[in-house]
Amino acid sequence: MPKQKLNPLPSAAFQIMLALAGEDLHGYGIMRQVAQQTDGRIRLGPGTLYSSIQTLLEAKLIEEIEPREDASLGNERRRYYRLTSAGRKLARSEAERLADLLRVARSRKILRGGYV
Amino acid sequence: MSEKIYAWLLRLYPSRFRETYGDEALQLFRDRSRDERGFVPRLRLWFDLLADFALSVPREYFRVEPELVSYSAHLRSDGVPSFFVLADEPLGSGALLFGSVLSVAALITFSVLLNHGVKHVPLSALLRPTHGAADSRSSAFSPPAQQAATYNGEEGTISSAARRQPRMATNPSLQTNAMARNFQMDAPPLPESAEPVQQQSRGAASSLHAEVKLDATERHHVVEAAATILEKNYIDRDNAQKMANALRAHEKSGDDDAAADGAAFAALLTHQMREVSPDRHLTLDYSETPLPQHPLEPTPEDLARYREALKQQNCTFEKVEILPHNIGYVKLNSFPDVSVCQRTAESAMTSVNGANALIFDLRENRGGEPAMVAFMAAYLFDHPEYLYNPRENTTEQSWTRSPVPGNRLADKPAYVLTSARTFSGAEQFCYDLQMLKRVTLVGETTGGAAHSGVWHRIDDHFGMGIPETKAINPFSKSDWAEVGVEPDVKVRAGDALETAVKLAESKLPRK
Repeated sequence: MPKQKLNPLPSAAFQIMLALAGEDLHGYGIMRQVAQQTDGRIRLGPGTLYSSIQTLLEAKLIEEIEPREDASLGNERRRYYRLTSAGRKLARSEAERLADLLRVARSRKILRGGYV
Repeated sequence: MSEKIYAWLLRLYPSRFRETYGDEALQLFRDRSRDERGFVPRLRLWFDLLADFALSVPREYFRVEPELVSYSAHLRSDGVPSFFVLADEPLGSGALLFGSVLSVAALITFSVLLNHGVKHVPLSALLRPTHGAADSRSSAFSPPAQQAATYNGEEGTISSAARRQPRMATNPSLQTNAMARNFQMDAPPLPESAEPVQQQSRGAASSLHAEVKLDATERHHVVEAAATILEKNYIDRDNAQKMANALRAHEKSGDDDAAADGAAFAALLTHQMREVSPDRHLTLDYSETPLPQHPLEPTPEDLARYREALKQQNCTFEKVEILPHNIGYVKLNSFPDVSVCQRTAESAMTSVNGANALIFDLRENRGGEPAMVAFMAAYLFDHPEYLYNPRENTTEQSWTRSPVPGNRLADKPAYVLTSARTFSGAEQFCYDLQMLKRVTLVGETTGGAAHSGVWHRIDDHFGMGIPETKAINPFSKSDWAEVGVEPDVKVRAGDALETAVKLAESKLPRK
């Protein structure tokens, strides 16, 4: 079921996986990371964020790790998420698919720049 | 404050989501609130949150639970039913209270509906004759409520209601034209308790329970009187003489000696007459209660009671409605007195005036007044039509008063539902409209009661009814007497409505 939900991969889910590609993050951390990597264009709301996290967890593309505190955000324990190897693989193939698209777009002179 | 609002909004999510991520969502809200201060950032925060709600709440409700997937997979694998609890939180007190209130409301509603259903008695049940003697074998030209007052030859007795109010005329010259009206007026339905009062008030109480002595003298008296009445009054002179001779011959040969009592004697004589001419309206009757000397005119109270009874029964219009496909449906269980029921009949016909086809349901119609037959038939024509009535000589009432002002049914397809219990006046309606090719009869062959009789008192306990008129039939030589009216479409009475509706629908213009 989750595989159907993730095919095609929703933008929010892909952004979350990209955010987790660098480091393990809690929810708010993911939100901030996504905002940062999209220049503030995507600000995931709690509903969308946790709904996507749930889907990714069910598909075993991410996993929950031991809760811990985030020193910069007070002493509340937070759930942290980590990209699994399957998630990393899927994120890579999704990136490659997008790269292919980019290549096609450039070859059609829609987008400037060299071929990747 | 804003956190409280957000916490409240979180309740819009399914409980499963709230349980797993509610705290984290609230925490994320707090984090953002702390980091995004100032009017514009706060505005943007709320804009984000509301947009997020709009998108994610529906998605969460449509999310397929993994348990459901595994449940169906489980069923497929071994076929053994099992249960999964999707929500493991206990029911809240609010939910319990709501459930209780809903259950109580449903219980009350059901019991009220059931109660209502039991109390509902269809009008047809009220109209069915309750007297054994006035059952389907009785063939007088009168609606059920009035029929109780007519004689019943096959029983050899007069029905109890007739004994209460034996009002049939004894003077033939007065009877012939007014016959149907006499029958019709005969028996306003009376409550049982009224019986003794009625009898006493009519001066017949003196010999209420006098036993009749059925000796040779009495038998001879009855036979001779019956033979004389036949010779004087029966419509068919040849048969009248033959029947009179037969009665006398049977008496002479001692055939009548076997009759043990009055009822048996009356039945025997009726049988002897019908051997010569099988006429169901020809009957000799016995009444244990003495018959009054003179016919009694209905008192104003009787008439008032009769009118009241008719009105209570909606003039026996049991059902008037528009069926699907705009088919008018009129279920009429008698043809009652026009002077009482004209308005009811008019309003019934007005309410189906816009119909594209019309169904008259006469399956339980036991007859009535020829005037009402003509009154109802008038709606089916745009010009006056002659209606044949074997009981009456041709009068002004033999013609329909068509066209009826404002009537739009004159050219609409019309169907009449019949049964073996469709009798007398109802058969006249069927027969005439069938002969005029104006209706399609659907159902069973009707009862076959064509002639009506005139009552002749012989003595305190015996009397006889005989047909005395013969109208000219413009359509064919035979009417429905004895044989009934054959339907155009023969189906069981129970299926007649369905069949007629299908026929009507097939004739309606397709849209």
